[in-house]
Amino acid sequence: MLQPLLAIIVGLIVGAIAIAIVGGDILETYKEMWKGAFGSFYFLTNTLSRATPIILIGLGVALAFRAGFFNMGSEGQMVLGALSAAVTAIYLPGPGWFKLIGAIVAAIISGGIWSAFAGWLDAKFRMNLLITTLLLNYIATLFAGYFVAYPLKDRSGSAAMAQTVMIDKSAWLPKLFQGMSLHAGFILAIIGMIGLYLYMKYTVRGYEIRMLGANPLFASYGGVERSKLVLVSMFASGGFAGLAGAVEVLGTQYRYLEGALTTPGYAWSGIMATLLANSHPIGTAVAAILLAALQTGGMGMERNTDVPLEVSEIIQAALILFVSAKFTYSFIKRRKKARG
Amino acid sequence: MDQLFDVSLFSSTLRMITPILLAALGGAICARVGLFNVGLEGLMLIGAFSAIVGNHYTGNVWLAVLFAIFCTLLFSLLFAYMSINLRANVIVVGIALNFLAAGITTFALRALFNVKGAYYNKDMVGLPKWDIPLIDQIPGIGKWLSMVLSGHSPLVYLSFVLVLLLQLFLFKTVTGFRLLAAGENATAARSIGMKVTRIQYGAILLCGVLCGLAGAQLSLGNVTMFNEGMTSGRGFIALVATMLGQSNPLGVAASSLLFGFMEALSLRLQGFAMPTHFTMMVPYVVTILAMIVFKDKSYLSEARKANESSR
Repeated sequence: MLQPLLAIIVGLIVGAIAIAIVGGDILETYKEMWKGAFGSFYFLTNTLSRATPIILIGLGVALAFRAGFFNMGSEGQMVLGALSAAVTAIYLPGPGWFKLIGAIVAAIISGGIWSAFAGWLDAKFRMNLLITTLLLNYIATLFAGYFVAYPLKDRSGSAAMAQTVMIDKSAWLPKLFQGMSLHAGFILAIIGMIGLYLYMKYTVRGYEIRMLGANPLFASYGGVERSKLVLVSMFASGGFAGLAGAVEVLGTQYRYLEGALTTPGYAWSGIMATLLANSHPIGTAVAAILLAALQTGGMGMERNTDVPLEVSEIIQAALILFVSAKFTYSFIKRRKKARG
Repeated sequence: MDQLFDVSLFSSTLRMITPILLAALGGAICARVGLFNVGLEGLMLIGAFSAIVGNHYTGNVWLAVLFAIFCTLLFSLLFAYMSINLRANVIVVGIALNFLAAGITTFALRALFNVKGAYYNKDMVGLPKWDIPLIDQIPGIGKWLSMVLSGHSPLVYLSFVLVLLLQLFLFKTVTGFRLLAAGENATAARSIGMKVTRIQYGAILLCGVLCGLAGAQLSLGNVTMFNEGMTSGRGFIALVATMLGQSNPLGVAASSLLFGFMEALSLRLQGFAMPTHFTMMVPYVVTILAMIVFKDKSYLSEARKANESSR
């Protein structure tokens, strides 16, 4: 717990320096930032709705990281999930709830399969997972881009945007509060968080995953089949990312719009949340909300002060940089040694 | 078809690949010492931005390029310090560096030039265009060659010279062999008294210089302006080119050519209102296929082991 807290303090100090450089009032700016993120019920729900896809992606990445797999492919998995959710919700016949569930399941499966494909390449050809997942990102976004630019393009409106037609209102994820942007996807994210926490802690498979990540040799000695676990954990990891895409489409955009998922950088924020929380499921969700708060707070800050939005990006980068270094720990250890 | 594959396609391929090639060479050097540098994107972005800053304040293109190199060197020092001295996970540091670069450049764009999105100034002078002398005298293909090869920025030519120099350096010099040995098996290298840490620092700094050049070519060679996030994934493409080229300078050059050609071709197809998604996909698919063929290079499995055990 100590290390993330120290990192947050360091991040805020770095942010304060940046604010001072552009000549802003540090306390005033941070106050505006806080107001923009949590200042009112509206802003709070706004932050939580931005956090929703980040939490889901973070959970997926956390699962893969725990097993020792660097899944960098959340972006592609999310995009494919979003595309299949949109397509299913548009074309699946039946009542609204049926479309909704079908869309979510389709998203989880397509995200999962795309991710498991990278896992399969690792298990079968020993290809570096980090690279294959990165590569598959490009292929997935280009693939989805092609579909919404040509065969599935919405030609009804006058706007020349690469997007699908709008999903029928009956298949939308309900909003949690009247007039607020927060939707039921947030509940799915919280369920996912608790589910993943319990799964990792109490099931045999969860134990195997943790063991494989902590000590691959010990795990294989204990009879853990790495190649099988790669497929399973990568499928689950991609499934989370696919779900993230689905809730964005079904709860916020109501259609697949080219760039709507990649431009805000949800996938990278999710990875960042996982890194901040050292792959702990609950910690990941907390970190995701923190990152979303920095982003929405930054917007609020820009509205009300002269300090640019980019300060929050600097804080985020400083956070992750300091968490990634084991510097605080070794620093404290060294000091203890020097004293004793 | 003639319209599609005309001279300017090849000429623009050369321009397109230079940033990718330079960064990929840097990535290759890092990969050879067992450090997988995911931060190429961020380093290149810092290079592109500081080149513009240097140009704005000094008014001299060459000083601007030097300033870009200086800034990326500072950044790669941070990378080296975090990953070597503080033993943070290399990949995590690389990702963090990308975030930091994106944040700092957009922030500084606002703080220094008070603009948002892009900075352009008509007084800024880009890198000069050099012509290769005597090339159009070659009988037969001379004219075509001169149209493709002449008229690029010096960095374009420098990048190809660097490919050869690095190839010779890595495989024909003692220092190069030491560098390879440090990546192959750091413990063994240390046991015979090699300064592995120093070699790794050297490799990362060299990578920084190359990424600085890549960024400068991007913001002063291809265009003379800076856009927020103007590297737009080129650093990751460079990373892929490093992998496809097996961290071998000549191989990296060949794979960068493939990427650059596909990018130029996609731009051209866009002009014809044809779907470009599949042509742009080709390099990635080729890389995956190539990875199946050239698998299990020892230094890569070393790097992989380092990745896996670190979590």
